[in-house]
Amino acid sequence: MKNYECVYILAPTLDDNGLKEKSEKFNEIVTSRSGTINSLDAWGKRKLAYPIKKFYEGFYFVMRFSGNNEILNELNRVFRFDDAVLRHMIVIDENPVPEKSE
Amino acid sequence: MGKKKKKEKKAAPSKPCRFCVDKIKIDYKDDALLSRFLTDRGKITPRRITGTCARHQRMLSRAIKRARILALIPFVKEYYR
Repeated sequence: MKNYECVYILAPTLDDNGLKEKSEKFNEIVTSRSGTINSLDAWGKRKLAYPIKKFYEGFYFVMRFSGNNEILNELNRVFRFDDAVLRHMIVIDENPVPEKSE
Repeated sequence: MGKKKKKEKKAAPSKPCRFCVDKIKIDYKDDALLSRFLTDRGKITPRRITGTCARHQRMLSRAIKRARILALIPFVKEYYR
């Protein structure tokens, strides 16, 4: 199990319900594959440094999770086919949230 | 032709690496910090100007490249046409 950090940008055309729906969907992908969400951070609407898909703004989400390789493949696949996701990036979490040892 | 430019040998005053001194962690999400290490055109400023040590410059350049992908900082700033 490794700690990962995933940032995704959603289209500014989505409303609150749409955002919630999307973020829950992505969370479920992690949890349904025996991964754990450590934190989900919503930055809200932010200006993009350059236009992506002709949008100048986007909703930023930072998700920290731990899990296996299977989750990464699935997340990458889902992100790529989802038109509401402007950008996504999954990197290894360099400053992981300290986990409680069992 | 055959002009020879005389190179001035000026020893740059060695600045301490800001990350080593203040123990700042480089994070690609911190766009305010990263943009301080960009030129006004959006390029990464070289080490000799900022005084960053090799290790932190490496970490910094990686963070800047990541932040560019996420549209936190620009690849190029479009002005001065």
